Amino acid sequence: MKTKQEDLIRYKDGNLYCELADIWIDPSKPVKKALITHAHFDHFTFGCEEYISTNETAILLKERVGDNIKIKTFDYGEEFKINGINISFHPSGHILGSSQIRFIFAQEKWLITGDFKLQKDKTCKQYEIVKTDYLISECTFGLPIFKWDETSVIANDISKWITNSPEKTSLLFCYSLGKAQRLLNEISLTNFKGNIYSHGSIYKMNNCYKDLGIDIKDTIKINNKKKIDELKGSLILLPPSLSKGSYLKNFKNIQTAFASGWMSISALRKRSGYDKGFVISDHADWDGILEVVKKSEAKNVFFQHGDSEALSKYLVETESINVLFFGK
Amino acid sequence: MSLKKFSELFGDLDSINSTNNKIEVLKSYFLSNEPIDNSWAIYLLTGKSNKRYINGRYLKNLFSQIYEYPQWLIDTCYLKVGDSAEVITLLLKNKTTSKNKKLSNISLSELLSKTIPNLSKLNKEEKNLKIKNIWEKLPEENHLIFNKILTGTFRVGVSIGLITKSISKLINIDEEIISYRLMGNFKPSIDSYEFLINKNINLEDLNSRPFPFLLANNFEDKVFKHSINDFQFEWKYDGIRLQLIKRLGNISLWTRGQELVNESFPELVEKMSYIKDDFVLDGELLVWNFKEQIAFDFSFLQKRMNRKSPTKSIQIKYPIIFIAYDLLEINGRDIREIKLENRRIDLEKYFSEWQNKTENNITDIIRICDLIYPKDWSDALTFKEKSRENNTEGLIIKKKNSIYTSGRKKGIWWKYKVDPMQLDAVLIYAKGGSGRRAGLYTDYSFALWKDQELIKFASAYSGLTNIEIKELDKWIRKNTIEKFGPVRSLKPEMVFEISFEKIKISKRHKSGIAVRFPRITKWRKDKKINDADSLDNAYELMKKIS
Repeated sequence: MKTKQEDLIRYKDGNLYCELADIWIDPSKPVKKALITHAHFDHFTFGCEEYISTNETAILLKERVGDNIKIKTFDYGEEFKINGINISFHPSGHILGSSQIRFIFAQEKWLITGDFKLQKDKTCKQYEIVKTDYLISECTFGLPIFKWDETSVIANDISKWITNSPEKTSLLFCYSLGKAQRLLNEISLTNFKGNIYSHGSIYKMNNCYKDLGIDIKDTIKINNKKKIDELKGSLILLPPSLSKGSYLKNFKNIQTAFASGWMSISALRKRSGYDKGFVISDHADWDGILEVVKKSEAKNVFFQHGDSEALSKYLVETESINVLFFGK
Repeated sequence: MSLKKFSELFGDLDSINSTNNKIEVLKSYFLSNEPIDNSWAIYLLTGKSNKRYINGRYLKNLFSQIYEYPQWLIDTCYLKVGDSAEVITLLLKNKTTSKNKKLSNISLSELLSKTIPNLSKLNKEEKNLKIKNIWEKLPEENHLIFNKILTGTFRVGVSIGLITKSISKLINIDEEIISYRLMGNFKPSIDSYEFLINKNINLEDLNSRPFPFLLANNFEDKVFKHSINDFQFEWKYDGIRLQLIKRLGNISLWTRGQELVNESFPELVEKMSYIKDDFVLDGELLVWNFKEQIAFDFSFLQKRMNRKSPTKSIQIKYPIIFIAYDLLEINGRDIREIKLENRRIDLEKYFSEWQNKTENNITDIIRICDLIYPKDWSDALTFKEKSRENNTEGLIIKKKNSIYTSGRKKGIWWKYKVDPMQLDAVLIYAKGGSGRRAGLYTDYSFALWKDQELIKFASAYSGLTNIEIKELDKWIRKNTIEKFGPVRSLKPEMVFEISFEKIKISKRHKSGIAVRFPRITKWRKDKKINDADSLDNAYELMKKIS
């Protein structure tokens, strides 16, 4: 195994760091230079002197946190140099603007997948297979019990769920950036033709997607003064943070659901307290991770985000792939 | 189509939280399916079928063999999911490549009455091959049901009461009557379903109905103002509250939860049949220690209740008695409007007749409760404190001139429970839960100080809220010292108040003591581990009690 000093990218203070370029990837605390893979808040922190991301990620971020940040943007595939290291963004299929980041230095290639999925999603660019020597992959769902259905199957389940209870108001909880827009796009293709409402935080992101040229079904912004009767039989998209607490008291006769990959496991589904769980994720499932590991042709693989013990052992035993671990 | 529909029903019942919604879903299922399939559905949902054709380990091995899957990987997945049938179902996804889903139209009744029972007639190779074959031919959405029935783990979040309620709403007939019809050897068939939903009520149906139970309130200090002579005092037994009903030869035993439990206590039913009078008795069922003439722990009763129909050896191992404390009806005459003190006179009179005039001895397992006669309220408190000695929970204090009303009406019956014993202990081990608690650390072990060492003294898994469980789970993952299989040893840092009912010397435990019903009653975040109690404190507590 290589020693820490030799690695182009390593773990430092809980974040990925490239020492030669003095640049951090999705840092969780303020630094000088930060590469941002995508606009979810768990990948972004305030106070960095400079951010670098794709154009879409920059626009989404500014919409969420304001213009008061300095972001340099690059297109997918466009190479830029920092301290002699070639860096480029490549689509990761997670949400609009999300990217993998490739580093090339002295003919050695490193690839950080960021959050990614292989499934088709019309609201963002499809994951691009990028060949690399070193792969740093996410493994949020790194167990074979996680296998996603076609998105259209889940969208039809959601449609049925709503139309089977016409006297109820259906509340679907999902992340406001990415998942919500993907769901809207897919649900518009199903038999459900009723009204769709979205919470302010989601409504804002919908508009942002539209501005960036993505086809998103029109929704009505929900406000607390809506007549309860007119919400009957309709769908309301809400962020998960509103599932507990007093917000739900604004509605009557509701059914609730949560859209997440974790809903595959019935124990988690029951504990979550929602009436129903729809298994749909913007992360790769087990087969997706394996496919990326193989197609990247990486000789060495690291994992981050998630419990990688089983996945690593599996790759070593059955695929003879060299799995490395970051020194702490 | 019906297996598919049953799979959907199972999915709905499993995910819906609201009781009313569950009832609606059940009603519409019963309305839209064949009687024979409804009959099998009820059989499954009421847990009458829990035969295990193969165990979870076998299922996992078989999957590993057929699909050349590493056993350790299946085991890792199991830790996340907590259920063998579900793990294999999730892993089977996209594995069965056969396009020919021949079994997609199999009915629930065919699967349960033919396909699965036939597996038992095969030898091991044939059986494995057949299971693989069914996996291949069955549409994926039915795998879960199949695997669960196969491993005898089919359970769903509905009680018998809920099934009863939905059938009752379906045909507009009282729940008690449906309960009575569901009782006994419910064999799935068209006839048994038709009998269940018959809108004509017969006399036998009516005779089985229990009275609404009168419930006790927690004791309030204002009762002290009343004269002690206004009240009747009894021990508060920790068993199962039952109404024993015998009317025109029909016998029914009802729990407070509207459950008919004749099958669980056949020896009691037999003794009741020897009594010449008709009656309705209210009282407590206990597993009895005949040697010391006190009740065994409630846990014994649970062990006994685990079996739907107990074998002779279970009946001997966990012998029961029924202690009657009220007579509500005698030979067709409803006497609930008579004052308690007079009902008590009747109870004693009839009981002594049964004792003397019944040919078979019935008083070995049917008794009436002894009364306690405290001189004044402070004497009553002394009795209360003594209740641990005879394995009771405290006192029941009943107003002598009260009538038997329904529900928890204040001022009629009071329960005055003895306080639990408590120690503050340090969390030292955690173990993963299973089922609903899979993937969370929910089984905890606690320790007390002995000099500078922490010695384990109790394990507990109940008492924390779901939010606390999640919070503690997070802490456990960050503060693990070592993992041994599913168990983690933890940094001693967290102090909890542990309550329990009894403490005694035990040579089997390193701590030298054993406690009964330990449970977490408070997360003492305000305490450091040095504030936790020592084993010496535990010994003192023990001395004080005895």
